[in-house]
Amino acid sequence: MFDATVLERLGIALVSILTAILLGLLMVAAAGYNPIVFLNNLIVGAIGSERMLARTLRISTFFIVTGVAVAIAFRAGVFNIGVQGQFVVGGLACAMSILWAAPYLPSGGLGGVGLMLIGTVAAAVSGGLYGALPGVLKAYADANEIITTIMLNFIAIGVVSWLITNPFREAGSTNVQTEPLPASVGLPPVVFGESGFSVVGLVLTLALVAVVAIVMARTRFGYDMMTSGYQASAAVYSGVDAKRNVVATMTFSGAVAGLASALFVIMYQGRFLEPASIHTYGYDAIAVSLLAANNPLGVVPAALLFGGLNSATSYIQIYSDVPVQLIDGIVGIVILFVAVPELFRMAAHRAEFGGEDE
Amino acid sequence: MSVVEYAGRKRVRLVSLAVVAALAVGVVATVAFDVPLESIFTPGYVARSMELAAPITLAAIGGLYAEKSGVFNIGLEGFMIFGAFFAAVGTYFAGGSGPVHAWAGIAFATALTTVLASLFAVLLIRYKADQIVAGLGVWFIGLGLAPFAASVIWGSRNSPRIPSVGRLTVPGLNEIPYLGRIVFDQSPLVWLTALVVVGSWVFLYRTNYGYWIQAAGENPEALDTAGVDVNRVRYAAVIFSGAMAGLGGAVLLAHSSSFVGTGQTMVDGRGWLGIVAYLFGNYNPLGAAVAALLFGGVDMLQGQLQTLNIDLSAKLLELLPYVVVIVVLSGWGKTRVPASVGEPYESED
Repeated sequence: MFDATVLERLGIALVSILTAILLGLLMVAAAGYNPIVFLNNLIVGAIGSERMLARTLRISTFFIVTGVAVAIAFRAGVFNIGVQGQFVVGGLACAMSILWAAPYLPSGGLGGVGLMLIGTVAAAVSGGLYGALPGVLKAYADANEIITTIMLNFIAIGVVSWLITNPFREAGSTNVQTEPLPASVGLPPVVFGESGFSVVGLVLTLALVAVVAIVMARTRFGYDMMTSGYQASAAVYSGVDAKRNVVATMTFSGAVAGLASALFVIMYQGRFLEPASIHTYGYDAIAVSLLAANNPLGVVPAALLFGGLNSATSYIQIYSDVPVQLIDGIVGIVILFVAVPELFRMAAHRAEFGGEDE
Repeated sequence: MSVVEYAGRKRVRLVSLAVVAALAVGVVATVAFDVPLESIFTPGYVARSMELAAPITLAAIGGLYAEKSGVFNIGLEGFMIFGAFFAAVGTYFAGGSGPVHAWAGIAFATALTTVLASLFAVLLIRYKADQIVAGLGVWFIGLGLAPFAASVIWGSRNSPRIPSVGRLTVPGLNEIPYLGRIVFDQSPLVWLTALVVVGSWVFLYRTNYGYWIQAAGENPEALDTAGVDVNRVRYAAVIFSGAMAGLGGAVLLAHSSSFVGTGQTMVDGRGWLGIVAYLFGNYNPLGAAVAALLFGGVDMLQGQLQTLNIDLSAKLLELLPYVVVIVVLSGWGKTRVPASVGEPYESED
């Protein structure tokens, strides 16, 4: 999938999405529901009203950041399936550091900004460290990072869940959650009122995308990462320490995953909740990144698409009988198709030359 | 270092690690909680561990055949989800409550996952799909579509109660202390699994086709020169891997009471453990089975400690198998991957 031109990739992505949605509609029909109604619900649920649009943009924002985290590692030839775990660890660190630091800072706006900075740094550092762990294990113990990151996801969710259930639980609460963050912590909503989405968050996210894209394309660090991904032996000959590079890549990727959770906690949740109940942003981010051919800039439209699909699930769940897990299946089919550019090349070839054998 | 020496060293490391882990847990249990070990490692515990290990073993055997032939099937988890779901569907529509219906479900599941695996094999081999990405795709499709179909059929992501296969009890012999419960009062699926393990070992190391599979992953050019169609061998291996993972999912279902489609589904990472198991086992079916047994034992251990009212958080105990995977993988991660894994093969003619 890496030897295609930009235009080809775009075409493959579009055809994959359309084919997957078409297959999804066929399944809806086969299950005895009306596919036209389903398609309509899908669109209305994503962008049908200001509230739904805000929800789509909110989910897309988290997908952009987690998608970039995945893309960083995949680009460098390292598979970080552990973004979900890094996200969960970062989220708890963000919430707890803000709660712990709150008494020492003024309660006004300036204090709030300070707290958000503290929370963001804590999230990035802890996410980065949690990402560094499988990096170190891969570099120095040859442990397959696909497996270790998946195991570390299970561990992160379990341990954080235990922490929130026991020592960090809100006093007197029956819910598994931390204390709420101080009122001074939060992003101004700007356009969309009380939606858990802030345009400021989206702007910060796009700035992050730009920074990552520049780091990847224009710095020595990014260059070393990319050459390691494409041409490991060439990278070693040009003086790259492959092991340190793996650790650095995973740390960078994990830190971005941590930033995603800082945004999630500060902009949306206002505290940290039971991690097992959090949407699987880290796993969906893999789909986002793959659809974007692991390009940080391509992550933005891919995240908007998956954000829309995810946002629509809430609507479909309420206003129709179609089981919403179908949408996860559609996402899976998109990924499967993205993995097989050759399929579309051959199909296009045949369409053009009619029946001629390859 | 000769191959035998190399393999020997690996085995020593695995066994020693397993022993160390077991000892550590035992020491902690006895010292900290004053628990007699014999009430933990009961015959029931061993038998149950084998039951837990069976699905992981089957998936691992499938995965190692595919990888030996040069194709990385990372979609094992997805095939297991489909296997468990199809087994539930088959058993449910077979309509009865006896073991016969459970077996019908297992056969149905294996047949259908074989069909899915064939489609997957075409994408990987004929259309040269990116193996990692496509495998992840299969996982996501399983996670989404199995619960979707379950909801369509049963109105819930979980199935109603499904009959199980029960136990294969040999009267008389099951009275033998300790061994009786483990050997002669055991799930027939554990024995089926044992059969698959031994059969796979013999097939892989003692038949021509087994050598072809290994050659397809190590040196496809040589195999091609010898007049064997490399891609045909790979098709066989990938289809077999999907079928085995599907069977593993079906076995998992047959050992439990219903299909669970919430969260990560009832498969809950066992397909991934299957991959880890054959890596530990250094691509040897026997080694993979031992590794799977280790996971089954650790997984069961936390249940066992809980029933003994040992005051450790259940939530933390549940994490034990995952921690063990990371520890063992780090001490044992350096396995020799077949030389041509991940590369599509194109014949020169």
